[in-house]
Amino acid sequence: MNLDDIRKLLKELLIESLSLEDIEPDDIGDDEILFGEGLGLDSLDAVEIVVLLQRNFGLEVKDMNQGKEIFYSINTLAKYVYENTRT
Amino acid sequence: MDRQKINNIDKPATRKRGNRLGFWFFEMFIRISGLYGAYGFLYIVSLYYIIFDKEAVYSAKPYIEKRFPQSGYFKKYLHIYRLFISQGRQLIDRFSVICSKKDVFDLKLNGYEKLKNIIQESEKGLILLTSHFGNWQIALTALNKLDKKVFLLMREEDNQAVRDFLNVGNEKGDINIISPEQEFGGVIEIVNALSKGHIVSIMGDRRYGSKASKVNFLGDYAYFPYSAFAIAASAKCPVVVLLAAKNSAHEYVVDVTNVLYPQCSRRKKDIELVPWLQQYADILEEFANRYPYQCFLFHDIWKDE
Repeated sequence: MNLDDIRKLLKELLIESLSLEDIEPDDIGDDEILFGEGLGLDSLDAVEIVVLLQRNFGLEVKDMNQGKEIFYSINTLAKYVYENTRT
Repeated sequence: MDRQKINNIDKPATRKRGNRLGFWFFEMFIRISGLYGAYGFLYIVSLYYIIFDKEAVYSAKPYIEKRFPQSGYFKKYLHIYRLFISQGRQLIDRFSVICSKKDVFDLKLNGYEKLKNIIQESEKGLILLTSHFGNWQIALTALNKLDKKVFLLMREEDNQAVRDFLNVGNEKGDINIISPEQEFGGVIEIVNALSKGHIVSIMGDRRYGSKASKVNFLGDYAYFPYSAFAIAASAKCPVVVLLAAKNSAHEYVVDVTNVLYPQCSRRKKDIELVPWLQQYADILEEFANRYPYQCFLFHDIWKDE
């Protein structure tokens, strides 16, 4: 998968696992801030993202410092997945 | 970024009671007079709090008014006095264990085999739901024999006595702290710990700014945080309710028989998790009915924050 495919997949997974109502993948900007003022996610949504990364990509976010960088936007999430799933 | 609270994040509004000199005095008092001497001294100390510490009395009132709705003005104060004495006894018990470094109390553990089976059958960890009911710190020590790594979700700096007691920070100890005062409220560390099969202990009866749902508790609607249940549902692990009641002078009964398996698939967690929250509230209500003076909530959970 290239970065574009991962971005698209992540948006779909986010919408599904967080049950984001009335939001289509194209509605989420690649650089849109996910937590707080952007998409408005909170720490319980962070649980879903941690689990989502574990289940779908076998990736573990080590701690909150790493999480803070990775969970910033779809772009940062996709970059993390891309760099850590390349064989 | 959003710093939505999971639990125990906000600084308590109430002032902290006790200082190093006070602890030293109490340690000496316990050494000299023994456990019963220290218990006796509590009658005077509690009377002082009843008369002069309006904040303490005010914080105890909501529970007492719900638990003893028929009580008149003076009876209410008598209940609060008994509650203070009971809490003081349990603090002394904790303290005497810290001082003596040996088993001062017999711990009767209900549900241990069930808990052991759950741990053996699942690769996932579990959430240990603690409450301000009874002596949860003593309860945790009863679980040492499970030989599992335990993570406590709690602020570090406020709990030195608890840290000492539970052997936190000691390399030989199996208890570690996850601070909720960090980005995402510590959930990343919680989910990682659970996925590695560890135990994560979370306080379940006070919200400290986190999201909550209304459930029936002691005859009225109270607000209970649902984050522990939401994490368990996402991580697909059980929630084990941990309670410890002082049964007699030298015995505590630690109960882990109540195991809940919360599920929620959609975004409306506050609604979907209510059945499990209600089960938890019912367990606490049964405890409060059985041990009315071992409920140390000291907060109006019936009022929305």
